[in-house]
Amino acid sequence: MRKGSMTARLWPFLRPQLGLLLLCCAMVLVVNLSELAKPYILEIVIDRYLVAGRPDNGLDSVWGMGLAFLLCAGLSSGLNVLEAVAVNRMGQSVLMDIRRMVFRHIQHMPMRILDRFSSGRLITRATNDVETLNELFSDVLVNLFKDIFMLIGIVVTMLMMDWQLALLAFTGVPFVFLVTFIVRGKLRRNFVVVKALISRINGFFAENISGMRLVQIFRRERQKLKEFDEMNDAYYASTLVQVRMNSFMRPVMEVINALVIALLVWFGCRSIGLNASGLEIGVLYAFTNYIRQFFEPINDLAEKYATIQSAVVSTERIYELLDDKANLEDLNQGEPIAARPQGKIEFQHVWFAYDDVNFVLRDVSFTIQAGQSAAFVGATGAGKTTIISLVSRFYEIQKGKILLDGVDISTLSKRTLRRHIAVVLQDVFLFSGTIAENVRLGDEEISDREIDEALRLTCAAEFIKELPGGMDYPVTERGSTFSAGQRQLLSFARAIAHDPAVFVLDEATASIDTKTEQLIQQSVKNLSVGRTMIIIAHRLSTIRDCDTIFVMSAGRIVESGNHDDLMAQNGLYAALQSKA
Amino acid sequence: MVLARFMKRHGWRYLPGVLFLVVNAWISVLPARVLGDVIDEMSLPVIDTAKVYQGILYLVLAALAIFLTRYLWRTFIMGNARRLETFMRRELFVHFQSLSMDFYNHSATGDLIAYAINDIGAVRQTFGPALALSINGVVTSLVSILSMSGGVNGSLTLYSLLPVPVLIVLVVLMGGQVRARFRRVQEAFAAVSGRVNENINGIRVIKAYAQEDNELGRFEGLNRDMLSTNVAMVKASSAMGPMVGFIFGISFTISLIYGGSLLRAGQISLGDFVAFNGYLTLIVNPVQSIARVINLLSRGLASLRRYNQVLAAPPMVVESIENAHEGPLKGGIQVKDLSFRYPYAPDFALRGLSFRLEPGKTLGILGHTGSGKTTLCNLLLKLYNPPEGSVFYDGADIHQIQLDTLREGIGYVPQDNFLFSASIRENIRFFDDLVGDEAVVTAAKQADIYQNIIAFPNGFDTTVGERGVTLSGGQKQRISIARALVKRPPILILDDALSAVDAQTEYDILNSLRGFFEGGTSGIIVAHRISALMHCDEIIVLDEGRVVERGSHEQLMQKGGFYAETAQKQADNQEGGEG
Repeated sequence: MRKGSMTARLWPFLRPQLGLLLLCCAMVLVVNLSELAKPYILEIVIDRYLVAGRPDNGLDSVWGMGLAFLLCAGLSSGLNVLEAVAVNRMGQSVLMDIRRMVFRHIQHMPMRILDRFSSGRLITRATNDVETLNELFSDVLVNLFKDIFMLIGIVVTMLMMDWQLALLAFTGVPFVFLVTFIVRGKLRRNFVVVKALISRINGFFAENISGMRLVQIFRRERQKLKEFDEMNDAYYASTLVQVRMNSFMRPVMEVINALVIALLVWFGCRSIGLNASGLEIGVLYAFTNYIRQFFEPINDLAEKYATIQSAVVSTERIYELLDDKANLEDLNQGEPIAARPQGKIEFQHVWFAYDDVNFVLRDVSFTIQAGQSAAFVGATGAGKTTIISLVSRFYEIQKGKILLDGVDISTLSKRTLRRHIAVVLQDVFLFSGTIAENVRLGDEEISDREIDEALRLTCAAEFIKELPGGMDYPVTERGSTFSAGQRQLLSFARAIAHDPAVFVLDEATASIDTKTEQLIQQSVKNLSVGRTMIIIAHRLSTIRDCDTIFVMSAGRIVESGNHDDLMAQNGLYAALQSKA
Repeated sequence: MVLARFMKRHGWRYLPGVLFLVVNAWISVLPARVLGDVIDEMSLPVIDTAKVYQGILYLVLAALAIFLTRYLWRTFIMGNARRLETFMRRELFVHFQSLSMDFYNHSATGDLIAYAINDIGAVRQTFGPALALSINGVVTSLVSILSMSGGVNGSLTLYSLLPVPVLIVLVVLMGGQVRARFRRVQEAFAAVSGRVNENINGIRVIKAYAQEDNELGRFEGLNRDMLSTNVAMVKASSAMGPMVGFIFGISFTISLIYGGSLLRAGQISLGDFVAFNGYLTLIVNPVQSIARVINLLSRGLASLRRYNQVLAAPPMVVESIENAHEGPLKGGIQVKDLSFRYPYAPDFALRGLSFRLEPGKTLGILGHTGSGKTTLCNLLLKLYNPPEGSVFYDGADIHQIQLDTLREGIGYVPQDNFLFSASIRENIRFFDDLVGDEAVVTAAKQADIYQNIIAFPNGFDTTVGERGVTLSGGQKQRISIARALVKRPPILILDDALSAVDAQTEYDILNSLRGFFEGGTSGIIVAHRISALMHCDEIIVLDEGRVVERGSHEQLMQKGGFYAETAQKQADNQEGGEG
């Protein structure tokens, strides 16, 4: 993406603030005029009072000019602060909007898309990338107007004061642009390399810290250090290039600045000597000041180039994410489910592939009557876990139909569908907050009493009553203070508190101590009362009492029936049973 | 200390940098004087053109000298700062490699690590830009002030610079204010990051309960905090520049009025007046950058402190000095009355543990979580130092065996199946180029993962991890088993390594390992499932760090203790397929 289009991207955010923006421009104008007036005042003092020796007369004096100078300084400083704060406030509210947009976008990304992103990448989009834009606003944009107006103002003032001298001064400009242009391109390419390397190094660090135990056990410290050294040295080499280019860029600007001044002095000397144009010394001196003022914004812009660069990259990355709007989930699209459904689940010739190519489910059909319990068993990759994701429409199926109480779920609103189907995943996720908040999960209609009841029914109350504060006990990040079994119980409580019609459970494989295991079994029993129950089983013992057991293999249902039927069939199920 | 080590080796590179920096600052002051002289010359009724041209020549020469010295000091100082960054990062990495697991398991240190990595950048800024800015500022200001008072007029200098001390105090105070507000911005940013992090990691739950809107609500409060803290900071930080501008405006006004009257009184020349203004201009930037220097300095020093804190953590395990043991391990292990307590832990993790394992035999270990199984593995691998005289390999105390020899001799399969983001081949041979492809293939077959690997489009070159294919827990576990087998170690330790694979796979793996054990490899198998333990030559049951039962499968079954109970329970709960 070009910088131009970055501006175009950000413009819609700025448009509502047009009034403020114009006010800022007006302030900038005053700031610049007073900045421009300062050398002009010097010129007057030198030429009128010091060289020509005009006598003081009230304000028409060096004193008067001094006061005017101070006034300009005050005006420029004061308005400068106001303008900076205003522009920044604008920028910050834009950033707030962008941050919200990215966050909302991520909330509504379907699983199919989310699977493609690593969580780290998504987090970077919503945080660091927006933060880079922040630097753009607070470092660059605040001064951008001022710098540009200043450049124009100086050009006009110089031309008005002495057009010949002005034209002479401008001969430096092409060189400035040439240098900036050449070095800039190189700097940009190098910057990309440096950034890629540092992120690789940081990733390498993170990975090695996680895997350090293995590295130490296998004594691979030397190999890993070698790998690290290669990256670290490459990083050093490319930063050196950056240092050299930066070391060249800034001083070369000053050389051009100095050469232009020398040129002006030479020309001034000649014209004063020849007395041809009546050039005054004050004008010459003012010009040297203007040229310094002229080069400052250019230097500034060049210096801020890195910030602009990374802002462009970040904007690109943010919009890469945001532009993919077509696939966003609309939770409200479709028919809302008015009353609590019965909970009859039906798959009709369902075909599904995560990637449109490798089908994980092939022509799967089954019916689970309302209030019944069903279990899915089978080897890894047979497609059991996929069924969970399809029932609550985390993914769209390629062919066939999934029905809830006889209604195609693709016609139902996801919000209400998911409200009535509770899914407990293998890997229980707890949010930081209290136990109550984790059960309620934002649904304020769930009262404390209902939470209490849910915790009791799921046997979670057993261990919670030991905790100080009970259900107000704080859950640390990811619930690391609870055991796997306890987390499981909490997620059951979460499910039951939402009173779903259908309860889907992906059994945990983690080893859970016997006592908690018993609690879980009891809890599942309590949960199943008055609900349709789907269990993805990893332990055959837990599903013996299920009304129907579906045995899956390679994406198909190969056997079904209750435990006794299946054992009698002496097929895959019986084989699985005998293996343990 | 790292800094001292760096300075000893590379510190001299700062010398030419500082030298050029001082020269540069000094030359930068000269053009103001030259310009003044030229103007003096030009205001004479009869201009000596030669003198003016000479002045112009000086201006050009000074410009070139400034360019050259500036380029040089920047390259030396900034370049060396980059070198310091690289140096510190490497030291950190090397140190990380030597730290024991105890350090990594300490959760607070996890943050320290993250900080230390990021802190290096701040240290570089201190020993690069901050260093240069302060030297440059001091020299430029000094030379300017000397030129003003010595070359132009003392009292004019005094009066004009009167506001500057006040300004410096203001800049320092305001810099403190900006830093405090910046800290709040960072806290707000950390809060937003934390929220986003949790949200994205829990996105499945959020979707399952249709909590998207609610999450947005929770996010919005933090988002607003970001706005308000940022605006508050900008209010302070954007006032800094204009404040400096205004107060120097006062200085310029004084120089204008007082300098003008001195000039008319004939005490200074027009050139002096112009030069004076030029000098004054040169002081503006150094004063303005005081706040920045203080900021960089305080951040850099805090960062250096944190970094040194991490580096101060001593490695727990030290290489044996006397290496009585020679040659590779043969597979005999003896543990004698081993008791062990983790540093800072109140209770012993192992109490009086003893066993003896002849080469080629297998030992099974059963026990609850926390019964001491993993501690035993840690000690056998010398990830922690066991007491002297308690762990022996082939009759030699573990402390008399080189770490290389010890760990090369043990194939270890951990409980968690961590793979590096690299190809499957690299993960199996674990970055050791000396391991041939054939060995990799054999190990893969023995770990019952070969068929899965060749089913991938890129076979053994398939990348796994963050950027590669996603493997199931069972697949990862089997690759980590292959990793342990690839060097055909005389001792194999499976640290609860089979719990993530289903019964069938467990059976297949144990079957192929049997050949391994029959070939003379000693094995220690830690497991929850009786099916994984029943064929071991000896089985011990651990509870609270003690051996509570020991014997063969048959003996233990007859005994009717914990082992038999567990076996009974598992027979009832016959286990099924894996998820």
